[in-house]
Amino acid sequence: MFSHLEFFLVEALRSLRRSFLMTMVAVITIVVSLTVFGIFLLLTVNLGHIVGTISSHLDLAAYTNYDLSLEDAGALQVKISKIPGVVKVEYISKDEAWKKFKEDFGTKLVLDEAASGNPLPHTFIVQVRSPELLPEVAKEISQLEIIDEVRYSGKLIQQMRTFLNAIRLGGIVLIILFFFATFLIVVNTIRLTVLSRETDIYIMKLVGATDAFVKWPFLIEGLLMGIMGGISSFLILKFSYDAISMRLSQALPFLPLVSDQKLLLEIYLGVIMAGTGLGIVGAYFSVSRVLKSEVQKC
Amino acid sequence: MIELINVSKSYPNGIEVLFNLNLHIGKEEFAFLVGPSGAGKTTLMKLIYREEIPTSGKVIVDRVNVAELDAHQVPFLRRNIGVVFQDFKLLPRRTVYENVAFALRVTGAPRSSIRRKTMQALELVGMLKRINSFPDELSGGEKQRVCIARAIVNNPPILLADEPTGNLDPTTSWEILQLLEKVNKRNTTVLVATHNKSIVDEMKKRVIELENGRIIRDQQLGTYHVQSS
Repeated sequence: MFSHLEFFLVEALRSLRRSFLMTMVAVITIVVSLTVFGIFLLLTVNLGHIVGTISSHLDLAAYTNYDLSLEDAGALQVKISKIPGVVKVEYISKDEAWKKFKEDFGTKLVLDEAASGNPLPHTFIVQVRSPELLPEVAKEISQLEIIDEVRYSGKLIQQMRTFLNAIRLGGIVLIILFFFATFLIVVNTIRLTVLSRETDIYIMKLVGATDAFVKWPFLIEGLLMGIMGGISSFLILKFSYDAISMRLSQALPFLPLVSDQKLLLEIYLGVIMAGTGLGIVGAYFSVSRVLKSEVQKC
Repeated sequence: MIELINVSKSYPNGIEVLFNLNLHIGKEEFAFLVGPSGAGKTTLMKLIYREEIPTSGKVIVDRVNVAELDAHQVPFLRRNIGVVFQDFKLLPRRTVYENVAFALRVTGAPRSSIRRKTMQALELVGMLKRINSFPDELSGGEKQRVCIARAIVNNPPILLADEPTGNLDPTTSWEILQLLEKVNKRNTTVLVATHNKSIVDEMKKRVIELENGRIIRDQQLGTYHVQSS
């Protein structure tokens, strides 16, 4: 079969060139479908990343209004850190907190310092191993005598996690649907290019070409269209994503967008491979169908 | 070479085209298939190159019942049968040379022999001067010559021509028939389906007449119509 490779390649390139308009329509359709698919993939991954980052805040804050000495605070810090599930305990004294508060808001707020004094409590920022442990750890800390109040955004985090799981599941379902839709579009577009050469196929069959021989040039053609579509779509996705994520991270610096180059590369490679695969599979289905209708005629 | 034994053909829509045909065409024979439109001439030809399968009966080509061939064996049958059409069926975007060479290429013929055989076939049909022309640039007669070249380039033992002169003027028709006779003399069995009375009458070959799917006459050195003596 490899001795005929040159013939297949020449035939494939020739028909790409000769039916240039049809080829362009097919490639553009592949590019559009893959780009929409890629945008959706990037959106899903980013949304998951954003929700994941936000819900992975594993902090809780414990406050006390007692007049703590540094030693007392140290002892308390050790005590808290011994609670199971606690990873790290950070102590912020009421003076430090006040100082930071004034730094952050001092110019904006007019406070009569002498009249009100420092209203802030001493704070312990406690990090736990996993978000599920938050309620339990919070309960234990609040049982300590000195602690007045424990706060954590437990309910919000739980909601976020439910949301995240829904996004992941919905994302997977939608990605499959999108992929299927893309597949149908690409297959049908390539089918048009195959159908436009039904006479060629008929004549090839008539003069004694085997099905495999008829198929090869079409498969190569599909492969080339798929690669062209995949690479174009990759370029569009990459440059748009880079530009948009740069602008977004400037405008909304707190928004944690996916910037992991490895993950992005995997997505882009996936898009190129999807294009290539769709091209070949599309061509295979289309040409098999035409051949089958020829056989049925027989 | 070609033998039909009790062959009947009806289409899935219930239309019956051929009824219990029995026919034998010997090696290197030249025969005309005549009869009105719808008599079943084209269907009979299609049975031979396995574009149709008989509803019942045997179609034997070179000792093989082609009705029983597996789909993957059909291409090899077709390499032994050249087919010429009324509407030529040339590939419009390929030159004369490419159209003829294409028939060899798709059968996986070695490169070295493709050029030689293509040129020989084109020489036989007298089209060597037009090898770089596209079908659009040719007259009807020239197109049919290219079509014949394509049909014989593989040196098939059988040549089927379905209304080869249907689109041609009388002079050109005559030239095409002379060409087919030339092919016949190269040890090829030739079966020509035609409406062309003057040619059939002039050539004095075997005439098989079909009417409503039945063979109503099979005559050596025949004419288009039964001659009343």
